Amino acid sequence: MNDHKGMTLIVKTITRISVWLIILYGIYIILHGHLSPGGGFAGGVIIALAFLNYLLAYGRKETENWINIRLLHDMESASAILFLIVGVLGIALAGSFLANWLSKGEMFRLLSAGTIPILNIIIGIKVCAGLFFVVWTLAIFHIEEAD
Amino acid sequence: MILYILCFILLLIGLYGVITKRDLIKIILSLAIMEYAANLFLILFAYKKGGRYPILEEGKEIVAMVDPLPQALVLTSIVIELGITAMLVALAVRLYQKYNTFDITKIRRLAG
Repeated sequence: MNDHKGMTLIVKTITRISVWLIILYGIYIILHGHLSPGGGFAGGVIIALAFLNYLLAYGRKETENWINIRLLHDMESASAILFLIVGVLGIALAGSFLANWLSKGEMFRLLSAGTIPILNIIIGIKVCAGLFFVVWTLAIFHIEEAD
Repeated sequence: MILYILCFILLLIGLYGVITKRDLIKIILSLAIMEYAANLFLILFAYKKGGRYPILEEGKEIVAMVDPLPQALVLTSIVIELGITAMLVALAVRLYQKYNTFDITKIRRLAG
């Protein structure tokens, strides 16, 4: 990221292909959080690393064009509220905070376990955006220094 | 027992780095090694010989699962480590902007 232009053509081409596979794997980990090891945090970290991969390969400007930074920022803020809403709905519908108010479904199915997959997705968005913005903000220092 | 001793040695390696190294980045990395040793210690407490991860799976009996509580604790600990490392790196970057070096012996004018 020295000249804010990114790395060589080889790295860029490989990144353009692999970044989607990494994101897909992260989504898989998040969606199967209630069935297998992993979950919202692990999957969110994987997706954030895909974004960081893109940031390292293409530099800051291209990443700004590729990802809607403001939208990601809003999603990070909204996910905390969404988590709270799901929790408070537990008070309203089932008696206690974060109680399960959806049908539990059949065991070992993808669409089961009540609110846990929803919470996993919300945590995944939060962790992904949060981890990405940590590195994104640290990179601002670098640009200030170069100016 | 040997595992606990190796884990303690890992902690000592991190401590050695924190005490003796002069480069700020190396100090941050040594701190991360110490954190890994602490996490490993907690996981080792929960480990059972031949144990399986504590998650129900289709067609598998619940036998010899490791203790899930320290694993949940370590997950929280990893998040806190992430925050600590990010803050330390931000401080190191600010110090580099001010002094143009990561060498802690050359960062002397801390007042002002």
